[in-house]
Amino acid sequence: MTTLSTHTTPSGYLLPSIHSAPPFFTQQPNPITQAVVCEQWTKLILSYARFKKLFVLRVEDAETLGGDWDEILRNERINRKLSAPHLSSIISTMVTKNLAAYEPPKQTRSVLLYWRQPEEWAEVLHKWVSTTGQLNTILTFLDITEPPIESPLTNLPTSLLKKAIAILAKTNRAQLFGIADGEGVRFFASK
Amino acid sequence: MALRRSTRSVDGSIPVPALLYNDEELLASQDGVGIYDGSQKSTYHQNGGIHVTTHRLFYIDAQNELRYSFALDLSSITQTDYYAGLFTSSSKVTLHLSASESDTANGDNNGNNDGSSLSPFDTWECQVCAYRNAPGLSPAASRICGLCGVPRASIPQSSNSSNARASERPPPSTHHLSTSLPPTPPRPRSPPYASSPQFGSQGAASDDTSNSIACPACTFLNHPSLRTCEICSTELPKIRPTARSRLDMRSAPTSRPTSPVDDDESNITSWFIKISFRKGGDKAFYAVLKRSLKAKAWAISSGGAKPNSMTDSSATMTRESLARSGISGIMRTVEDNAQQRQTGISDALQDLEALMVKAKDMVRLAAELNEKLTNASKPRPSDALSVMSGFDSGASNASTYTLVGSTTTGTTIAMEPEEATFIRSSLSQLGLQMVNVPLTQDMVRDERKWIEELAVELANVLQGTTSTVGGLMKERPVIALDEVWGGWNRARGVALIPPSTFLQVLPYLPSHTAPSINTRTFPSGLTVLHTPAYRSHVFSERVCRSLRESGAGKSTMEVAFEEGMTVGLIGEMLGEVEREGGIVRDDGNMAIVGGGSGVGTGTALVSEELRWWVNVFVECVWDGYVHPMDEDI
Repeated sequence: MTTLSTHTTPSGYLLPSIHSAPPFFTQQPNPITQAVVCEQWTKLILSYARFKKLFVLRVEDAETLGGDWDEILRNERINRKLSAPHLSSIISTMVTKNLAAYEPPKQTRSVLLYWRQPEEWAEVLHKWVSTTGQLNTILTFLDITEPPIESPLTNLPTSLLKKAIAILAKTNRAQLFGIADGEGVRFFASK
Repeated sequence: MALRRSTRSVDGSIPVPALLYNDEELLASQDGVGIYDGSQKSTYHQNGGIHVTTHRLFYIDAQNELRYSFALDLSSITQTDYYAGLFTSSSKVTLHLSASESDTANGDNNGNNDGSSLSPFDTWECQVCAYRNAPGLSPAASRICGLCGVPRASIPQSSNSSNARASERPPPSTHHLSTSLPPTPPRPRSPPYASSPQFGSQGAASDDTSNSIACPACTFLNHPSLRTCEICSTELPKIRPTARSRLDMRSAPTSRPTSPVDDDESNITSWFIKISFRKGGDKAFYAVLKRSLKAKAWAISSGGAKPNSMTDSSATMTRESLARSGISGIMRTVEDNAQQRQTGISDALQDLEALMVKAKDMVRLAAELNEKLTNASKPRPSDALSVMSGFDSGASNASTYTLVGSTTTGTTIAMEPEEATFIRSSLSQLGLQMVNVPLTQDMVRDERKWIEELAVELANVLQGTTSTVGGLMKERPVIALDEVWGGWNRARGVALIPPSTFLQVLPYLPSHTAPSINTRTFPSGLTVLHTPAYRSHVFSERVCRSLRESGAGKSTMEVAFEEGMTVGLIGEMLGEVEREGGIVRDDGNMAIVGGGSGVGTGTALVSEELRWWVNVFVECVWDGYVHPMDEDI
């Protein structure tokens, strides 16, 4: 107990040793200390989100039991949990650092996590389209997010997908247009 | 002879203002006078002070104030002369005294003047309005009721028989010889009484007339032992053969034999005394005396000249109540009384201020005395000097050394002669022990030096001197400022230090203390004095080490217990360490289930408890899950 140690969750995620320090769960009054705490939490949240492919984090996740985030927002071994206000402040810091975006906009209770930046997602998307030989064909959003074979883009939130497509469209690698039952997109090979 | 006959002995050890009647006022005083009785020097009255008041003249002897002091009623002075002095002869004031008995009777014999001297100190009830007159007025003023203005003895029955008012003493009848009323007994030799119809009383001695009872029906004077009137059998008013009335009976004859003798002499000699002013001041004094004589304050009750004294509120009151009686008069009296009380209180407060000034002088005197004693007995500086100087940090200069030296010499306990020891012990009994004598601003001219001296004194209070064991900070390494201030002023006793000065002294404290005591202010505004062990970085290092060793964090209470300090103070200090980033907090409210940190301490903790951890974030590196590169691509 005198030394902090890492811990592997049932889902196989390796928690960092700081997660077993009780002060980690307290919002520190000292701004410098709190910055470190916040940075560590951001790292942990994004890492875990990437591990579990989670895209959305809500303030309520700190209060509800049995959610996707229990493994990191709570630490039963030291009887500590992250409080909602603390999580809220961490989230706002993440938004400021452009590591997350409020989704839907104009509220602060839930965010879309950017464990990959939209630009990165654009590259991933383009790579996936070209490797699967779907260039120049029209795809619906559903074709991308729920492909018959699981891809890195499976379950990607539509808003994030739109951002990625918009980035590709700027470099003329994608074109967005309306079709009968929604929106369709066509990708082009990069020049 | 004139001196003995006209004056009355007073206790000169009492300050003159305390000897005065309530309506009397001290006008002027002069030291260094001698008294001539007639044309010859009076042996026992050659060095003293003379005081003139609105009513009397006091001589207070300088050598034997108890025995040879006397008072002289101004009313007995008929004429004054002034002699300016020539070469070796001092200037003199001659007072011609009236020989008429009516004036001097009240003071004709020192042994027997109780009739007049006691009366001012009795309260008496007016028979007309039942107002209880306060004691302490001059004989003249006390003869008249303060409320309704009716003379005290103007009721015929009361002057006929003192026994009618059994509990009262007879009015000072000696004052009333001039009134038209039949005088009461004190003159047994006077023919009218000798021939009064006393034969009826069974063989009564002539002296007993003073106690005979006048019949309320037929006015016959009955023997005091009778219950009913001898003539008409009317029931007589009860008399009480009190000790006092017996005293009257006894005192009457003893006083009488002397006065006729005096009377005889008074016819053939002229009476005067002279006051010789050996130390000057004669002119001013004579002017005041003349004015006082002219004012005739003592004659006020007889409706004569009014006194010119404006502050004489009692006399004013008497005068006004004479003019207006009835309810308005009573209300006026009440108002006047309230006003008088107020002036009394303000006077008393002024006295208190004067006393404070005196106390300062006394302290200074004691300080000088003690310093002389110390210098005389052993002039070497004590060991304390070398010790203190040794510890003195680099800032100390030559002046600091001498400063420390001068104050610590007062603390040397050396072999002293018996007299010195006695003086010292007397001083300490008076609470003026030199070690504790506070420094006051007037002892030190230069302000900066004063502050430094104060710092030395405060250092002694905090750390203790060589002679007195212990100081405020002997047991406690950190102490709040308010407590220091209170303790210091308690140690000083007098001439207290205001907080502003106290704050001025603090910056000088480190250079006068060893080990140095520093000031520290917390963000909350709390300011403390602390020893080097509680400098912020020393303390934070210590706390961090202790927390690191514990591994589980500690509550404020536990740290306070370890440091032996109050929780509040430790809370402040930990807060400061936290602000520096040395420690972090673990809030018990962050627990999943209420019941404190379950790290394994095993103790049941309060859920809200705050625990302190060493800053675990500083060397924090990511040792969690690492994503494989290009996992998704």
